[in-house]
Amino acid sequence: MKKKWTAALLAGAMTVSMLVGCGSTGDSETASESVQSDTKGQEKVEADSTANDGASSDEEITIKLFSNLPDRKNGQGLVEQMIIDEYMDANPNVTIEVEALDEEAYKTKFKAYAMNGMPDVVSIWGQPSFLDEVLDAGVLAELNEEDYLDYSFIAGSLDGFKKDDKLYGLPRNTDIMLFYYNQKMFDDNGWKVPATYEELLSLCGDIQAAGITPVAMDGGDGWPMACFLTDIMVKIAGTDYADIVSKAVAAGDFNAPEIQQATQILVQSADAGMFQIGYDSQDYGTAMNLFTNGQAAMFCMGSWECSMALNEDIAPEIRDNIRAFTMPTIDGGKGKASDIAAWNGGGYAVSANSQVKDEAIKFLNYMYQPDKLSKYGWENGVGLSAQDQTAYLTGSETELQKQVMDILKNAGSISGTPINDCGPSAFKTAIESEIQGVSNGSTSVDDFLAAIGAACK
Amino acid sequence: MKKLYSNKPVILSLVLPGLLVFLFAVLAPICLSVYYGFTDYSGMGEARLIGFDNYANLFHDSAFGRSLKNSLLLAIGFICIQHPLAILVAAVLDKLQGKAEGIFRCIYFIPNVISVAVIAYLWKFIYNPDFGLLNNIAKAFGHPGKINWLSQQNAIWSVLIVLIWHGFGWGMLIYYTGIKNIDPVLYEAASIDGANWWTTFMRITLPMMKPVIQINVTMAIISALKQMETVYLLTNGGPNNSTQFVANYLYQQAFKAFKYGYGNAIGVVFIIICVLATVTLNTIFKDKQEA
Repeated sequence: MKKKWTAALLAGAMTVSMLVGCGSTGDSETASESVQSDTKGQEKVEADSTANDGASSDEEITIKLFSNLPDRKNGQGLVEQMIIDEYMDANPNVTIEVEALDEEAYKTKFKAYAMNGMPDVVSIWGQPSFLDEVLDAGVLAELNEEDYLDYSFIAGSLDGFKKDDKLYGLPRNTDIMLFYYNQKMFDDNGWKVPATYEELLSLCGDIQAAGITPVAMDGGDGWPMACFLTDIMVKIAGTDYADIVSKAVAAGDFNAPEIQQATQILVQSADAGMFQIGYDSQDYGTAMNLFTNGQAAMFCMGSWECSMALNEDIAPEIRDNIRAFTMPTIDGGKGKASDIAAWNGGGYAVSANSQVKDEAIKFLNYMYQPDKLSKYGWENGVGLSAQDQTAYLTGSETELQKQVMDILKNAGSISGTPINDCGPSAFKTAIESEIQGVSNGSTSVDDFLAAIGAACK
Repeated sequence: MKKLYSNKPVILSLVLPGLLVFLFAVLAPICLSVYYGFTDYSGMGEARLIGFDNYANLFHDSAFGRSLKNSLLLAIGFICIQHPLAILVAAVLDKLQGKAEGIFRCIYFIPNVISVAVIAYLWKFIYNPDFGLLNNIAKAFGHPGKINWLSQQNAIWSVLIVLIWHGFGWGMLIYYTGIKNIDPVLYEAASIDGANWWTTFMRITLPMMKPVIQINVTMAIISALKQMETVYLLTNGGPNNSTQFVANYLYQQAFKAFKYGYGNAIGVVFIIICVLATVTLNTIFKDKQEA
């Protein structure tokens, strides 16, 4: 009998160790990729420092940057790399080592770093679901808000990065929730951009009748649908949205009439066939492909996808016809057309225990000089930054870029953090899963609201 | 030589590497897991002891219940569908002989050679309602509309099919090797006695394969319990946890929901279940062997 138990224990232990082994495979693959790009970066650094040999005799400093942008040749990752290269050219004694992972892997490793010492500069998200636990652990350095008075940050954009009025990070982007649509498809079929939610629903009916999917939705990930719900809530509650949600999160009670009504509208819309069949199990790429292949008339996503208009992989007849509109107003709702769902999400911070904290903050400030992140970002069609970009208009912007710029310029109010990011990460995980159940009809609205409320406690 | 083996330092030096690996790579993490299972540790900052709260919460956690049920369903699927089929196919393969044997063996094993990530995406495309293979076949047979294979109701069955299909080749190969190791003299004697194929299979192949079946079934149950990669990539437990499995749920809770303590509590329950499953299986097979 004793032998049997020992054997069983060993078998159990084996299972656990296998599990550990399995879990790390994916990570190590991604990590090795990032190491490769690191080495390339380092080679360049070495070449750069030889070129500038003798320019400075300051002590050698190495800044470690941990980034959530693994693609260093396109979009935001390219912008980040451009600034890094410029900074190293200007400061030959400084070497910046980049480690970049995809968002999911990034967040996991971020946590591991938080336990055992962080890299010097890190990507962060100025939202409670990410930042609360991080700030509680005290791993980020405090920044001096007065340093940034002339950095033309958009009013309120720093709020998500503060705790007890102290600033711990800086925002990189302004994200707006949008309906991208295919202008040509709309014109050919005589469809019009809806001004009210009623019109949107009837438009979806017309599109369905034409055998096309009305709205491509990435429901498999959960968060785009939570952003969609946020958008509906903003049109119902208007400027009270943030207040209602923060109260609900604090009390763990989501039975406010506005939240109930918004959820019901989401359920009705999904039930009426607004999204593609199987939206609740399909990922980002699949949903986006439906739209960019012309199988869906609209795509519900954030303004960061504006670069679709510049994406060579999308057929020109679609790429050139992509336009956007914001959530139409809802009958009886307090939100006006100009009250939009938008927020400042991703950004950067400096580690509290960094050995080279001063240099790291110097580099952070360099990145945020208005003619760096904002300017380069705009020129590369990355989307809207959290700083005033009007000075960098080139005149050759895509129609889509101009449209989105106008939407932001004409906005009466901005919602702030989407609902799923307003609570602790346990709440985020719960709502992003439960929202699939409520929208596909397997969970009732009441059960949904109770479940997400329980996750806040 | 004998003297060398009775020398205690020598024994120690031979045992030590294995012992150290066991202590630090297996036992220590388990002990840490047990400790963290009693805390509200988020993965960062301070850990606070909270007694059995995590375990009490587990009992009310419907998603955890669902994931346990799904793991059990998968184990049943492995034992009742995958393995009987694998044994039969292995027996038929053994009878095929010649070139065909090699070709079919290879074909059945191919899914195991392909990376899990590729398998997951392959099936994602096959199941897609808009451009997937399955729906196009259904359409060719005149089915109107699109079937949502990964809907809340269908998803678990679709996922089970992928997992059973994916692990099939591995099980079959082990059974095949087992069958190949059976002494051909037995078959010869049976055929002289006039036994047909079915009798030979039931009276010689199956009984001789008992040790192989025991190992294979134990491994199948453990792999059902620790199922993670395919599910993570195929559905990530969705829609709304309908395809959630224990290992994937553990990962989500520990690393996405920042509930590291809770994740560890799941891990501890998971270890206990694995140990119980192994003990039960050993008992069942032992009784059979004695009988």
